[in-house]
Amino acid sequence: MSPPAVRLRGLTKIYRVPVRGAGVREALRSLVRRETREVPAVRGVDFEVAPGEIVGFLGPNGAGKTTTLKMLAGLLHPTSGEAHVLGFVPAQRERAFLEQITLVMGQRNQLAWDIPVLDSFDRNRAIYGLEASDYRRTIDELTELLELGELLPKPVRNLSLGERMKCEVALSLLHHPKVLFLDEPTIGLDVTMQRRIRTFVREHNRRTGAAVLLTSHYMADVEALCPRVILIHHGEILFDGARTALVDRFSSEKTLVVDLGVADATADLSRYGTVVARDGARVTLRVAKAETPAVTGQLLANHPVQDLTVEDPSIEDVIDEVFREQRLAPE
Amino acid sequence: MRFLRLFLVFTRLGALSDLAYRANFWFQVFESLLNLGAALALVALVFSQTDQVAGWRLEEMAALLGVYFLVLGVLSMVIAPSLTRFMEDVQLGNLDLMLTKPADAQLLVSIQEVRIWKVVDVVLGLGLLGFSLARLGTQVGAAEAGGFGLALLAGAAIVYSLWLVLTTLCFWFIRIENIVMIFWSLYWAARWPVGMYPGWLRWTLTLVVPVAFAVTVPAEALSGRLGPATLVGALALAVFALAFSRWFWRVGLRHYSGASA
Repeated sequence: MSPPAVRLRGLTKIYRVPVRGAGVREALRSLVRRETREVPAVRGVDFEVAPGEIVGFLGPNGAGKTTTLKMLAGLLHPTSGEAHVLGFVPAQRERAFLEQITLVMGQRNQLAWDIPVLDSFDRNRAIYGLEASDYRRTIDELTELLELGELLPKPVRNLSLGERMKCEVALSLLHHPKVLFLDEPTIGLDVTMQRRIRTFVREHNRRTGAAVLLTSHYMADVEALCPRVILIHHGEILFDGARTALVDRFSSEKTLVVDLGVADATADLSRYGTVVARDGARVTLRVAKAETPAVTGQLLANHPVQDLTVEDPSIEDVIDEVFREQRLAPE
Repeated sequence: MRFLRLFLVFTRLGALSDLAYRANFWFQVFESLLNLGAALALVALVFSQTDQVAGWRLEEMAALLGVYFLVLGVLSMVIAPSLTRFMEDVQLGNLDLMLTKPADAQLLVSIQEVRIWKVVDVVLGLGLLGFSLARLGTQVGAAEAGGFGLALLAGAAIVYSLWLVLTTLCFWFIRIENIVMIFWSLYWAARWPVGMYPGWLRWTLTLVVPVAFAVTVPAEALSGRLGPATLVGALALAVFALAFSRWFWRVGLRHYSGASA
């Protein structure tokens, strides 16, 4: 097996943040004496990402996702532990390392505001020292995949948010990075544009074999792209494994959708499980996983069921549940 | 080579940005002419009362003003806008993306923003310099010209280092836009030869905020009053300043924690 694209061992980042009480008096006091407090953002994180793998890196706000990505991209020095990306130590920011990675942050942009997109591309071409023919070919490819044709000659200020994001993504890939760190690349985009970016990431991964570590708040991103997910909370890893295993492991219930038909539309089904929703003759039930086969049998035997489906809860619900339990659990 | 290529690309992008707002060109011409006119009027006023100011004659004084505008132009064309943008980027967290680029980060932040209309100051400065040198006539030989070139380079390096050190402080203090105002208010004083100021101010302009090296010293070279000791001193200080600011920048960068996303 080839060596991992990304490898973390006990990676830890503790921020020192200034603290001060409220009010003018305290603010004045802090002008001379600054008190700081240590805030652990990432605590002993271990994982690996294989070349060509797409991994979803999930967690609530402030869980340590971005801090981890920043350490992997060489922006932050870890407080302790170690990170290796493509065999490099990111914090050393070696040229050969930086030439092979890219970081896309949905909330930051690097396109220059007043000039056409293509000219911003030119800047990156100079910074990365890309050869003309190769550069042209890459642009053609990206233009085709992301439908950038009309956008490239426009000044960035005339683009919509979604169009801008497409260009940002293209800009970050001009140098053929082997590892992509995508920090909420679809944030704020409409559904169509999210889907476009998603399709593109998958296609790009398939064509180039680049490893992708992706954070997102949109579960659709994760479901469409990431066979494997890593959950992080309070700076620690809660789960690392197949997306489907996550649902199996953390969810103790299944969802049954029953269509009773007109004959029995008003039947009370609450004795089978928790009724979550009721829309005419369509009833949505939540049932303990172990009892699902028995309940299904009884439903079919006792009611004139027209249609019945058994579903796993959405990954969104599962993750929400995991994090809620964690919050309740004593630290 | 790489530096030159990057610099050309950034200049081109700056030109494209600025060309999008053509009116700014005319405002810049107006502002620069006004500045130059006001400075010259003041000099003319002073020299209507006397032949010399701190040993400088009218033509020499005009040459000094030429250097002043030349340095001002270069500063406000590249260094000031780039490093001001750098401070904003630290505040907003945009420096992150800059740091993922495989190029020297200090170089990138120092030349990232080029305001080409400021070239007006450079042109006016050079024009005034040429005009006053012509008036001075035979005095400027090869030695003076060489000394001038070296002194100007040393002065530019010193002023750049000062800017870099001042703006690098934002890694710790985040909001320090005011810090560069200190520089501008003292640079203003460099329109006159530092020898004319009282001791404390002269020392401030030489050692604390060493704008004297950027303007007075090169102008001294042209008017033949620059001794080799001062020139060597200026060059040594320039080397030290570049090395120190580089070291300081690296310390700051290590300290950078980014704006939280």
